[in-house]
Amino acid sequence: MTTLVTTVKESLRYRGKVGQWSWMLHRTAGLGTLLFLILHVIDTSWAAFYPEEYENAIRQYQSPLFTIGEFGLIACVVYHAFNGFRVGILDYKPEWWKHQQRAAIYVFVATIVVLIPTFGLMVNHVIDFYTEEGQDIASLQEIIEVQVQFVLGLVVILVAALVLSALYGLITRSKTGLDLPGWAEKNLWLFMRLSGILILPLVFGHLAMMHVIQGVFDINGGGIDVIGTSAVNDSGKAVEFVGERWDMLVAGVAIWRVYDALLLVLVVVHGMNGLRNVINDYAHAPLINRALNWATIFGMVALVVLGAAALLAGVDETAYQIAKDLTPTAP
Amino acid sequence: MQITLRIRRFNPEKDKKSYWGEYTLDKVDSTDRVLDLLHRVKWEQDGTLAFRRSCAHGVCGSDGMRINGVNRLACKMLVNKLGEGEHIKIQIEPMLGLRVIKDLIVDMEPFFEHYRQVMPYYVNDAPLPENGRERLQSPEDRERFDDTTKCILCACCTTSCPSFWANGVYVGPAAIVQAHRFIFDSRDQAADERLKILSEADGVWRCRTVFNCTNACPRDIEVTRAIGEVKMAIRQGAKRE
Repeated sequence: MTTLVTTVKESLRYRGKVGQWSWMLHRTAGLGTLLFLILHVIDTSWAAFYPEEYENAIRQYQSPLFTIGEFGLIACVVYHAFNGFRVGILDYKPEWWKHQQRAAIYVFVATIVVLIPTFGLMVNHVIDFYTEEGQDIASLQEIIEVQVQFVLGLVVILVAALVLSALYGLITRSKTGLDLPGWAEKNLWLFMRLSGILILPLVFGHLAMMHVIQGVFDINGGGIDVIGTSAVNDSGKAVEFVGERWDMLVAGVAIWRVYDALLLVLVVVHGMNGLRNVINDYAHAPLINRALNWATIFGMVALVVLGAAALLAGVDETAYQIAKDLTPTAP
Repeated sequence: MQITLRIRRFNPEKDKKSYWGEYTLDKVDSTDRVLDLLHRVKWEQDGTLAFRRSCAHGVCGSDGMRINGVNRLACKMLVNKLGEGEHIKIQIEPMLGLRVIKDLIVDMEPFFEHYRQVMPYYVNDAPLPENGRERLQSPEDRERFDDTTKCILCACCTTSCPSFWANGVYVGPAAIVQAHRFIFDSRDQAADERLKILSEADGVWRCRTVFNCTNACPRDIEVTRAIGEVKMAIRQGAKRE
């Protein structure tokens, strides 16, 4: 871990050019996006499994703290997407390296150009929501109470991974971390480029629908059209919003489930492999390296399984009913 | 002009931690090199200052160091490139990612270990041409790897790379440049072996196209491009006609 301190400190001290700043921002933006992705997959699965909790999660996302976070998230995704595209192009056209500096600046400019109108639209949603009387807004204390559970879950996973890694070390006397063979690294490297390209349209579509055109403030609005479907959210419950989307059929295919499933798998694997790259850069002690790698792999599998289970289960009648029975003041 | 030099000092026999030493030099010419300044400090002020240099003309690659935050050769860096006016401050540190032995001298052994890993020598066991003379190569084939023949193994690129700072197992830009020089040489026969070595987990995949290496190279080698070409060659096989 000492090299993490060195690298962060020296990356700020070393006078690299724009490429170095792009790299630092790319990592930060990727990790920031991954953090939200983990929360997001877990709580969206509640729409299928714990409808009351899902309504509450949406309520928390409408709080000022998460609203600020949402702006950060959008910035992270947009920058990471554009810069990833730049890196990918240079990987396939190394002879274009002379343009990389200009390209890195174009990426900054393009990010800002996209973010200005996007943030404008998002601010409109925020203003609409907060100027309406009688909104039920989650307090900071409630938010902490719920989010602490995620932190605890993470701590438990990390501790378990450390214990297992220590046991593994004792039994096998292994002196190495989790090193993948070269062919695996090569294929994962390729996967990052390929998945990046596939994710681009999917994630921008998702962000446009769920964060910009409609947003977290519309998801539990009664009588509001559900984006991407011909349905109306009659109950004004977030669960119905999700259910209407997942049940929308085009030629017999639940297109939004397919869309979400693709996005889920690509983004979770892309994100967790990115995290693995960061871990292998900075965590060298075999015990810690193994533990963090295992926790990452576990997280990757768990999120894909959880998300897929929710997509397969869908929102059933009972869930609708439970959500509908909630009074607006319910905790 | 007057120069204030801040030099990162470390004597393993006396110091627990490194520290900044400050030296003021008068009557410096704007066309003096940083290496001249280091000589003046060593010869006129503090004979204990330790740094490497050999040819002093940008060929041997001994005096790579971090000058004003960027890896440079002290013998190729003129004072007038580092500031204007009658008083200039210059900061000099050892290269990062290799153990400091003393002052500006770092342990180059791990760097050369990576260099040796990539088989940086010509391999061709085929019988000589019938006339018993040299193996001919067209100008185009020679041009293919011309850029990477310029490397002088100064380590400026490798020690500017955040991936190498983070993890010294990464083979590093310089070793990949050296491998590139032979992989794309039409007369060489060991390209596949080198590509295999570089496609290991500690090979090219740790490159994150940060471009610090390209910016640091005192020989203006297109380092990141060379790494990119090696990545392509691993995926597609080295193309040789």
